[in-house]
Amino acid sequence: MGGDQPRPAGCDPVLAIYREALPQVYGYLLPRCGSAALAEDLTSETFLAAVEASRQGKLTEVSTAWLVGVARHKLVDHWRRLEREQRSLAAAEASSMDVDDPWPELLDAEAAYAALARLPVLQRAVLTLRYLDGLPVADVAEHVGRTLHGTETLLARARAALRRHYQEGHHRAR
Amino acid sequence: MPADPLDALRLPIVPVEPRPEFAEALLRRIQPLGRPERRATPTIRYFVNDLDTAVDFYCRHLGFEAELRPSPVFAMLYRGDLRLLLNVPGTHPGGHALPDGTLPTPGGWNRILIQVADLDATVESLRRAGVRFRDDRPSGVAVRAVLLEDPSGNPIELFEPARGYHERAR
Repeated sequence: MGGDQPRPAGCDPVLAIYREALPQVYGYLLPRCGSAALAEDLTSETFLAAVEASRQGKLTEVSTAWLVGVARHKLVDHWRRLEREQRSLAAAEASSMDVDDPWPELLDAEAAYAALARLPVLQRAVLTLRYLDGLPVADVAEHVGRTLHGTETLLARARAALRRHYQEGHHRAR
Repeated sequence: MPADPLDALRLPIVPVEPRPEFAEALLRRIQPLGRPERRATPTIRYFVNDLDTAVDFYCRHLGFEAELRPSPVFAMLYRGDLRLLLNVPGTHPGGHALPDGTLPTPGGWNRILIQVADLDATVESLRRAGVRFRDDRPSGVAVRAVLLEDPSGNPIELFEPARGYHERAR
């Protein structure tokens, strides 16, 4: 991907890479949001925030990779808003602490994504950041505003919940 | 340490083009924030018979300001973001004569529109100042509008929004 080229002189750096960065930002958000309307909203938020930062002179260099990072923050902000609204549901789910049983060796990724979409929002958030985006646990912790230990616990619960939904989905499919 | 089976969920970014309407609307939203200095100035040219009278009319009655007046046959006025160029037609440079000698003339029906906050009060004030109206009875679709003339007979429409008025969101 050629998103890291130098900015053309005299042009806003975000606008300069808009055409190239837009499909990347939208392509990052769409499968993680599960809704085109939400992906469009968060894409707008991403570019508006980037342009605002640029206008205030806060940016020295803009790349597609950086914009995808902004999009990730916007996605996490969205999940955290949702999580505050749905806290009672998440609490009920988290209380059923599972042992982290082994996963089947061959994972059906599509079924796992479908199971992921059924999880409480915070669990979905940490699993997305950790596995879909491949972030280290420390970065996941920073995004969701938890301690490293708290995030590891959250990840363990989320994995267990995902496994349960994944297996239920498989049983139904048979 | 054994491989984590969930690593199979890694989802690389596959570029997806959003709806073209969305892409264009978002571009419009970020452009004015990002580069106000690059927006082109909306510019109109009117032909007038007498430059002094015209400049005085637009500045006195319609809130324009004279920006440039480099010759007796050309002036550049501004009203907010709108730039109005006034030219006296002729065979002199800037007179806009065609190669066959045809000269532009003031008048016609195409016109600039100026939004005002209180149309009735504006009409009353302009009428008292002796401004010539083609139609001073407010009418229109989604606007209330009147039509007046500058001293050379160029039309200018004044309007205020009415029910159903639309403007692109900024």
